[in-house]
Amino acid sequence: MRVDTSAVPSGRTRIRVPRYRKRESVKDFLCVAPALAFFAVFVYYPLADLFRIGFTNWNLIRDSYKFVGLKNYKWLFHGSGLGTWLSSLRITFSYTFWEIAITLIGGMLLAALFNRESKAFAAMRSLVFMPKYIAVSTSAIVFMWILNDQYGFMNYLLGLFGVAPVSWLNSEKTAFTSLLILTGWRVVGYGMMIYLSAMKGISKDYYEAAQLDGANGFQRFRFVTLPLLSPTTLFLFVTTFIASMKVFQSVDVMTDGGPYESTNVMVYWIYDLAFVQFRVDRAAVVAGVFFVILLAFTAATMKISNKNVHYDS
Amino acid sequence: MATDQNARNARAKRLRLLTTILQYAVATLVVAVVMFPIFWMIISSLKTSEELLRPVPSLWPERFHWRNYADALRMAPFGRYFFNTVVMTAGIMGLQLSIGSFAAYGFAKGRFPGRDVLFILVLGALMIPIQVTFVPIYVMVAKLGWINTFAGLIVPNAVSAYMIFMLRQTFKSVDDSFLEAARLEGMGRFGLVFKILVPMCKPTMLTVGIIAFIDGWNSYFWPKMVTTTSARRTIAQGVYELKRSYAGLETMNQNQIMAGAVMAVVPIIILFIVLQKYILTGFSKAASK
Repeated sequence: MRVDTSAVPSGRTRIRVPRYRKRESVKDFLCVAPALAFFAVFVYYPLADLFRIGFTNWNLIRDSYKFVGLKNYKWLFHGSGLGTWLSSLRITFSYTFWEIAITLIGGMLLAALFNRESKAFAAMRSLVFMPKYIAVSTSAIVFMWILNDQYGFMNYLLGLFGVAPVSWLNSEKTAFTSLLILTGWRVVGYGMMIYLSAMKGISKDYYEAAQLDGANGFQRFRFVTLPLLSPTTLFLFVTTFIASMKVFQSVDVMTDGGPYESTNVMVYWIYDLAFVQFRVDRAAVVAGVFFVILLAFTAATMKISNKNVHYDS
Repeated sequence: MATDQNARNARAKRLRLLTTILQYAVATLVVAVVMFPIFWMIISSLKTSEELLRPVPSLWPERFHWRNYADALRMAPFGRYFFNTVVMTAGIMGLQLSIGSFAAYGFAKGRFPGRDVLFILVLGALMIPIQVTFVPIYVMVAKLGWINTFAGLIVPNAVSAYMIFMLRQTFKSVDDSFLEAARLEGMGRFGLVFKILVPMCKPTMLTVGIIAFIDGWNSYFWPKMVTTTSARRTIAQGVYELKRSYAGLETMNQNQIMAGAVMAVVPIIILFIVLQKYILTGFSKAASK
């Protein structure tokens, strides 16, 4: 039996949104719409497309392609791609480890050294910080000249101490170190600046209290400065991790991933697969897996650090 | 007893002086090491090829060989690189700042259903770098016919999630009453953003603007993907292109390559020196978030 319920008030009362408010909402939404459209087209769609391409046999030479299921994943995890993938992962993580270590430890040491209020020190601080703002590709070319086997200043300098010339970029033993020399030069001042600005924010009361308790300089650093800087350390850790996992420029300019793939970091390998070997399908799979690794590590870091970071409340 | 005290004070004073001297010395040494590559770049750019390749390098050129700069300019179209870089950087900056300001307003002060969920999409974009997604983006850009065009260089960088995040934080701190008052006077969204919020948050705007400028100017990865000829190459690629143009004869032409590097680096160094105050506050702000 049908009952006409239109006249009966329903159980839930509907909150009426005034029409002008609705119009305002639409206008507010329109403010964020261009940005959202951009992220949809240039971030999220490509990410989805990446995984789609990974299931095809597409290369840049052919126009047509067909879906081949898990073939590219098999190539990566259980085929000829595995060896290169593992070595590339190792190189990338090792590079990231060193860049983080240099940023955190070097940055902290320099922060302690340059922590002095004076015009001279302010000027010196900005000089140490400056390399970060010079294009990596250009810095890399300058460092290649300094690290030149025959005429480079580095080998000349080492020669003064009786060290035999090192073939920096042309040997698989030292190419990676050469990258790290450039990286260290670029990032150490950045770490210093971030730590210094955080150290300025620490209240003097803590130090006075520690001094009253008889803490010496080292103890004050160890038990006051260090714990209170832990949010800064986390910030540097996470941002440096994400930035250094993406390393490309210095490798592209200085080593082309070589010699013998000794500097074949992940992004360089993806680039090489896509634009040198034209295996877009494989590049897509490697990039997709790389993205998952990045995401997992960042999430894990955040989770662990939430428990261990001290916040000054 | 008093003299004992004096002696102790004197010793403490001497120790403090010694630490100060030591601090200055070590700091100066660090600065010298960090500045050396820049010094060496400039010095090498002014040497003749003969002086450049001596077994014992000279720390100062015998005479300034300015011709290297003219030669470098002949080997690679630096004027073109500069023009491309300026247009690309201006385009990226302009789009990022305008689209970013509106979006930040919407996420900070706007009221519409799903606002905070949609903001998570913005934060998520921070986790998806172009180094992961460049293959599909390249395919899309190629289909649009944007290879070797300014559109190809600029559009995939037109919005920065990081900038929206920073601006949203700042816009949030502006009291609603300013916006309400302006709205009562009949001001629209455009006015609210560009006449109220942007002027009130000038330091942050400057900081994110400078960061956008430097990132654009120095960008290498995407410009490399999307350009195949020097017609649209940018300055960050330029020095590398210059180096490659000597195919096999790089070593003896390092002076010209360094001249190219100097030309590429000078604008950014000047900018850094002039604007470092804003760069520094920007970083401490980012770190405290």
